[in-house]
Amino acid sequence: MKRLLLVTMLVVLVAGGLLFAGGAKEKEREIAVVPQQLGNVVFLPAEEGMKAAGKDLGVKVLWEAPPKAEAQLQVEVMEGLIERGVAGIAISCNHPDALQGVINRAVAAGIVVTTFDADSPLSDRAFFAGTNNYQAGYISGQEMLRLYKDSNKARIRVALLEGIPGAFDIESRKRGFKDAIAGSNIEVVYEGACDDDVDKSVIIVEDYTRANPNIDAWFMAGGWPYIVQPGAMPEYTKWKQADPVNHKVVTLDVFPSSEAFFDLGLIDSAIDQDFYQMGYLSVKNILNILDGKPVEGLEDIENELDDGSIIMVPSIDTGTKIVLLENYKDYFKD
Amino acid sequence: MVDQREQTVVEKGSNFLKKWGLSVIRSNSFRIFIVMVIMCVAMWLVSPPFRTANNLLSVAKNFSTYAIAGIGVTLVIITGGIDLSIGSIFGLTGVIATMAFVKFNIPAVPAVLIGLIAGGLLGLINGVFIVKFNLPPFIATLGMLSIARSIAYIITKGYPVVGLSKGILFLGQGEILKIPTPIWLMVVIAIIFSIFLNKTITGRRIYALGGNEEATKISGINTDRLKLLVYSVGGVLYAFSGIITASKLGVGQPTAGNGYELDAIAAVVIGGASLTGGAGTIAGTIIGAAIMGILRNALVLLSIRSHWQQFVIGWVILIAVILDQMRVAKK
Repeated sequence: MKRLLLVTMLVVLVAGGLLFAGGAKEKEREIAVVPQQLGNVVFLPAEEGMKAAGKDLGVKVLWEAPPKAEAQLQVEVMEGLIERGVAGIAISCNHPDALQGVINRAVAAGIVVTTFDADSPLSDRAFFAGTNNYQAGYISGQEMLRLYKDSNKARIRVALLEGIPGAFDIESRKRGFKDAIAGSNIEVVYEGACDDDVDKSVIIVEDYTRANPNIDAWFMAGGWPYIVQPGAMPEYTKWKQADPVNHKVVTLDVFPSSEAFFDLGLIDSAIDQDFYQMGYLSVKNILNILDGKPVEGLEDIENELDDGSIIMVPSIDTGTKIVLLENYKDYFKD
Repeated sequence: MVDQREQTVVEKGSNFLKKWGLSVIRSNSFRIFIVMVIMCVAMWLVSPPFRTANNLLSVAKNFSTYAIAGIGVTLVIITGGIDLSIGSIFGLTGVIATMAFVKFNIPAVPAVLIGLIAGGLLGLINGVFIVKFNLPPFIATLGMLSIARSIAYIITKGYPVVGLSKGILFLGQGEILKIPTPIWLMVVIAIIFSIFLNKTITGRRIYALGGNEEATKISGINTDRLKLLVYSVGGVLYAFSGIITASKLGVGQPTAGNGYELDAIAAVVIGGASLTGGAGTIAGTIIGAAIMGILRNALVLLSIRSHWQQFVIGWVILIAVILDQMRVAKK
């Protein structure tokens, strides 16, 4: 009886498989976008951009994210997409070297691979869309210099908030920030890591500010504390509002929830990277490559590698917006 | 005659106090408490900002959520089980309660209750997998870790739940007699569960179950029902912790609580509970959570880079367990 059941199941499976294979239509083109981590709010506009491009251009788009911001998990997602036979992949790399091998394997398999937000410059990817993290950090440093250009203080002490220690994108931002302020009277005196955890980021900022009310400035290498309501940060609010002229805050990332912080004068300058365009233009230009059309807005931009050497990166610069107390209302209106 | 009677009463009273004092001093919680006091004194001496009432209240407020989740997993660990789904239930229920409040306009109290019920149900499902399908707790709760986190992403589409207003914010941002609400909640929950574990038959049976499951079964106690109860109560407490955190931050995040299971379990272990079951106290867990909170605060106040945080906490866990092993060997 069992044998009969087994044989029947096999026959059904084989027949079904043959029917499916015979009747299969030409596979619909799919373009996958792979952020660094599921649930990271920074990437949500990129998902919206990807979906809008999919709708506008009539192509199926997939949002495939690893549950944690780890390069190995991203490699596994990429391998799955190669097996699935997608036509294109846009990826924000958790680490440039760790992703290089799998990107090259995908390209060798005939998939158009591009990077956005965080590049893998030595891989075979077609182009990079976004603003270089080092550059974003550098712009943040320039903003800090600008905010203190009229200050006659001999030494400006900055506390720095980072995410997961050693994360490549955040390290690049920190390096850019420190390079920009190098040689000035601005000095980073504290670095606290919140492990990408919003609750921990609030605890670190609150504890450090309470213990060091004379700190001059904060540089947030990511916008974790601005996902919460200002009411969750009474010490920080007290510190900033006590001396808005001398206490300054520069942060990367702008979220809808950042507006409440601007309303209270709790952020001086926020560097916004256009994640929506990263998602939209990645899908659009992957499709252009697949259709034999040129990539729009492509230019070679200098990029500094870890060893200090400079390479030219084929890039679509999605630009940065500097959101200030003076212009934030216009930004959020848009 | 009256004098003699009075003397006897006084003697009896002093004997009771002596016995009680000795039992407190000999308890594992007391040793951990001494460690905490030493840490506080050291910080008191080296860091003036540590001494401020504001800072101490902030430390207590911050560790109270770990402590509440820790009380839940203390019950589980006393039975000899483990729960890896703490962080995911914490995140999912925080999102459920805030969504109920913001998106469905349900008033604060019922919205919180919905979150707590969801936590209880998720805990019950853990229990059912363990009891009815004989899954090891590690595996059952590992599965729930993924499932609950995934549901949080699905229902929010990855977006944080914003727009919390006064009613629900009181839970995390409010104060009673100038002491933050989360601290009051931690104290009340700690008292309730201390009484539950030490003064009720069910509490005693939970210890018995962890000490020797077979013997407990043979003595006619329904161990399956006890496990279902413990995992469900655990779920409710993780949920409460998650909802308080969402209220404290003013946002429900699907990513909240990622990795909290390790912090909560670490608090329980530092507090003297045995991972093999049968031992552990609520007071120990509160002190364990406090030690972790003080450590985190100390590293920030002393401007030590966060990279060292896990290193220090790792050593504290190891030393706590080694001391406990030494105590057991001595006995």
